[in-house]
Amino acid sequence: MAKTLVIDPVTRIEGHGRVVIELDDDRNVTDAKLHVVEFRGYEKFIQGHPYWEAPVLMQRICGICFVSHHLGGAKALDDMIGVGPASGTCLTPTAVKMRRLGHYAQMLQSHVTSYFYLVVPEMLFGIDAAPEQRNFIGLIEANPGLVKRVVRLRKWGQEVIEAVFGRRMHGVSSVPGGVNKSLTAADVDRFLHGEDGLSSIDEVIDDAQLGLQMFYDFHEEHRGQVDGFANVSALNMCLVDEDGNVDYYDGRLRVVDEDKKLVREFDYRDYLDHFSEGVEKWTYMKFPFLTDLGRDAGSVRVGPLARLNVTRALSTPIAAEALERFHAYTGGRANNMTLHTNWARTIEIIHAAEVVKDLLNDPDLQKDDLVVSPGADAWIGEGVGVVEAPRGTLLHHYRADREGNVTFANLIVATTQNNQVLNRTVRSVAEDYLGGQAEVTEGMMNAIEVGIRAYDPCLSCATHALGQMPLTVTVVDAQGRVVDERAR
Amino acid sequence: MSARAEPHRVPVELLDDPTSLIYGIGNSGRQDDGLGWAFIDRLEQIRPLPRAHLRRTYQLSLEDADLISRYTRVLFVDATKDPAVESFTVSRPEPKLDFSFTSHAISVPSILATTQQCFEHVPDAYLLAIRGYEWELQEGLTSPAQHNLSHSLEFLLTPR
Repeated sequence: MAKTLVIDPVTRIEGHGRVVIELDDDRNVTDAKLHVVEFRGYEKFIQGHPYWEAPVLMQRICGICFVSHHLGGAKALDDMIGVGPASGTCLTPTAVKMRRLGHYAQMLQSHVTSYFYLVVPEMLFGIDAAPEQRNFIGLIEANPGLVKRVVRLRKWGQEVIEAVFGRRMHGVSSVPGGVNKSLTAADVDRFLHGEDGLSSIDEVIDDAQLGLQMFYDFHEEHRGQVDGFANVSALNMCLVDEDGNVDYYDGRLRVVDEDKKLVREFDYRDYLDHFSEGVEKWTYMKFPFLTDLGRDAGSVRVGPLARLNVTRALSTPIAAEALERFHAYTGGRANNMTLHTNWARTIEIIHAAEVVKDLLNDPDLQKDDLVVSPGADAWIGEGVGVVEAPRGTLLHHYRADREGNVTFANLIVATTQNNQVLNRTVRSVAEDYLGGQAEVTEGMMNAIEVGIRAYDPCLSCATHALGQMPLTVTVVDAQGRVVDERAR
Repeated sequence: MSARAEPHRVPVELLDDPTSLIYGIGNSGRQDDGLGWAFIDRLEQIRPLPRAHLRRTYQLSLEDADLISRYTRVLFVDATKDPAVESFTVSRPEPKLDFSFTSHAISVPSILATTQQCFEHVPDAYLLAIRGYEWELQEGLTSPAQHNLSHSLEFLLTPR
């Protein structure tokens, strides 16, 4: 009998969703989809609020990548008040560097969360291990020493975020035209040299390399599984600097193909000239694609794997060396191996730590020239902000009326950009692990989740939900009857 | 107060000490979810325990295992939706790893267990859970939640 398999909820991702897998009478996969069934609310919710509230309110979409939303929103507001390329007015160096410092600290902290909390348990215990073991609690019991180092690494990132943004979560420091605080000499000193209970930056850089070594060790032992898992094609996109290398805070959007040939590079403010969004009645999450290429050929991958596919170099020494090995592995072609996203993530953990060290040694961080105020006549009333969030390219676009109240808001978050490639991944894993099998096992179900978790998707962000939503895997037969369903 | 049992007594005289932490958990932007923070606000205003450390957090995360390992005793203060709690309740959580664990939030027993396993020290822990009623994206406690907050403070600070 043909079947549909449903995974609901998909665990250990931010927010929730539902996977439905359809099997024919021979148990071959005929379709597989990731559904997101939550109402999107924030783009409407923000309308009518004063424009300057946007970065503070919109970051409440998420308790994990709130820094990215705060900065994406702040950059859009810079545009709105007339600070940016259109006016020729720039932020002060201190403002830009403070924002960058907070941004890279979040990259470190968020990637550490994703990798060590959600991925490493699977690497240590195996995809087939009992669910009671293959989680972070299992890791705490198996290796408390490792967990202690991870906790201190995350704590360090969190402390920098609090010092930069004024709060542990949902910061308030980025304002239209700059920031409202710089870093004190005491803060710089304790982050560089550490204090009781807080690592020094050199200890952080040492600990940041733990993840990469763990990936190398795991890859060495499980090369076939890692390389063969959900090898799916897509274009790759990220922000780049003038040399075409990834810039996590600013730049132009660059898209490359599987041969790393340039497909497109453009000012992100012109995104509507390049992107369209497809919709499906079975999910609230849209499908962005490059309009002229169409949805199938024009969908992009964003995030760690995409960024390291696009960039030719990284600006810091340890990460640059790791990047060379990463690039050499695919012989110059783009890397489409889904589980290599975790490899890319570990390189970005190191890069973020190294960049933070460079910034902490920059005296501009302690200066007091924080904001530029171009005056009421410079008001544009529309702005677009893009940053490379830990999960990928994040875009905020606002318009406001003459009174300064928001009349329009559009968010394109990384998980939405990845929607098409996420669905390709689910399909690929379903075909490889479930296709033709007489029985659906727990390990097979978890393989689907492993594919999804590689993207570290944030479905709350993707649907702009007010609050979290729960994710369910379902098997349906050719007649549409649910014949197996798992919710963990 | 809980309908089910008399709350545990919190040794206030021991809490007024630099090795004690009173930790308010919640989100003041979501109505009664701000009860934990409001409790800390009140303590800061009336200063009945001037030597205790006061902190706020949105939700517990693994870094808190490191934080609480540095204290002798910790009073966690959080809002509860539990309809069996009429006003507030005080319990003595024990270290226990459980499956509430996500990257977003961890339970008090899991944090205590993580502290025990990774940092080899567990503080003397109390959990004050104050009943809340509304959780929408809006600032300010509801009137009954404010009443419960006052009631719990009075209970905590009354010598017995």
